[in-house]
Amino acid sequence: MHNHRHPIHCIVPPHMLKEIATNGTQAQRVIAIDTLKATARMRGQRIALADFAAATFRVEAVGGKDRIVYDAKNGSTLPGTVVRKEDDPPSVDVAVNEAFDGSGVTYDLYKNIYNRNSIDGTGMRLDSTVHYRVGYDNAFWDGQQMAYGDGDENLPVGERLFNRFTIAIDVIGHELTHGVTQFEAKLVYSYQPGALNESMSDVFGSLVKQYQKGQTADQADWIIGEGLFTSNVNGVGIRSMKAPGTAYNDPVLGKDPQPAHMKDYVNTVSDNGGVHINSGITNRAFYIAATEIGGFAWEKAGQIWYVALRDKLTSSSNFQQCANLTHQTAGELFGANSLEQQAVKKGWAEVGLTVDGGTTPPPPPGDGCLGSLLKLIGAAPSKTG
Amino acid sequence: MDVKRIKFERTGGFAGMRIAADFELDDLPEEQAEQLCELLDDVDFDELPENLMKANQVPDGFTYTITVESEEGQHTVTTSDISAPAKMQPLLELLYQIARQRARKK
Repeated sequence: MHNHRHPIHCIVPPHMLKEIATNGTQAQRVIAIDTLKATARMRGQRIALADFAAATFRVEAVGGKDRIVYDAKNGSTLPGTVVRKEDDPPSVDVAVNEAFDGSGVTYDLYKNIYNRNSIDGTGMRLDSTVHYRVGYDNAFWDGQQMAYGDGDENLPVGERLFNRFTIAIDVIGHELTHGVTQFEAKLVYSYQPGALNESMSDVFGSLVKQYQKGQTADQADWIIGEGLFTSNVNGVGIRSMKAPGTAYNDPVLGKDPQPAHMKDYVNTVSDNGGVHINSGITNRAFYIAATEIGGFAWEKAGQIWYVALRDKLTSSSNFQQCANLTHQTAGELFGANSLEQQAVKKGWAEVGLTVDGGTTPPPPPGDGCLGSLLKLIGAAPSKTG
Repeated sequence: MDVKRIKFERTGGFAGMRIAADFELDDLPEEQAEQLCELLDDVDFDELPENLMKANQVPDGFTYTITVESEEGQHTVTTSDISAPAKMQPLLELLYQIARQRARKK
């Protein structure tokens, strides 16, 4: 199938092919990558796929939920050794099972509630690596997979501050949502777009936890990373969506630096422009909207944020645009001046952002040129709205 | 390399907590100072490029900035979890441990 000459060869320049290879549907990506490889061979070049599409080869799957958990055995090489696959029985290693189960619940939330088949929407396999490095008090999404450290397991018990990072299911939902954002709004990971990227991960990370526990908005604790701190730390978790800035206050770690309102917005170059700091503002807007609407937060507030992330936000969106676009989405989903739309407006107002509901924002950039090209080659754009 | 002073900073990460240390080599216990010098030699610190980052930021990854002052001058390297060469990992781990120990003492 891939050997016939496809029109994409003739009309699409390499930079756009790379765009398609990264952001297109699975079928589009296969064509684009084949073309890039063929083009590179013709020029006698070796092509570096790692930056834009290695994930396409390594973690593609067709069908339903498909997970693999790897063990880095305290090294820094990803992904490491396979320790549990989709149909395998539970491991004796609790971190392996937590990564497996947590990514499963995250898959279920996106599939059952938002009708999204995995991170990329087309059944991408969910790969997790546990026991990453030594004394690694962190988890991250590397563009292709999740990686989890064991906290500070290398220190004496009395000095440990962090437990293993798989212990909190919202951390797992947070990391996987970075993957969803990568395939949808592609929010740049710095300053306000970066803080929105972080906030989306906290929102859906928290929703994964609430979904698993069957909690309504007023039953949920809205804490991110509950259980990550050892008993040596004075804190309930890493962040509070309900009351940003109050999650911890500790002699060694200092105080939770998150602002809860635009008037306290933190201007900094550190942390990629404060992406984990200013996300407190937009986290709280979501919390207020969800609580105003009531019931299960994933049903309505989550749906509004999900559709905005999938169809409205762009790589450079800022807080004000996010406020406008979630407000607009609420109107489209639930009706103008509906309770839901008013709740979204109130959420933003309480963090210092007045939604501009009077105008229709222009269509997001990026869909125009690429979208028409994809139509030309007979493939549907990835964003179908 | 005759190391005199080291500055270390780790930012970002899931928790977004900054940790930093600024110390003279002489401030460290002898064994730790020797270990640190060996690790700096192992990676040929002076020869490392100043920018050891990848173009794309990894969500929730750490960013590390290390400055080493010696008789010969000073050299700063910025790197991240996934762009740091494997041989650099023990150095990053030790510097973080030192920073933690010093934060605790304050």
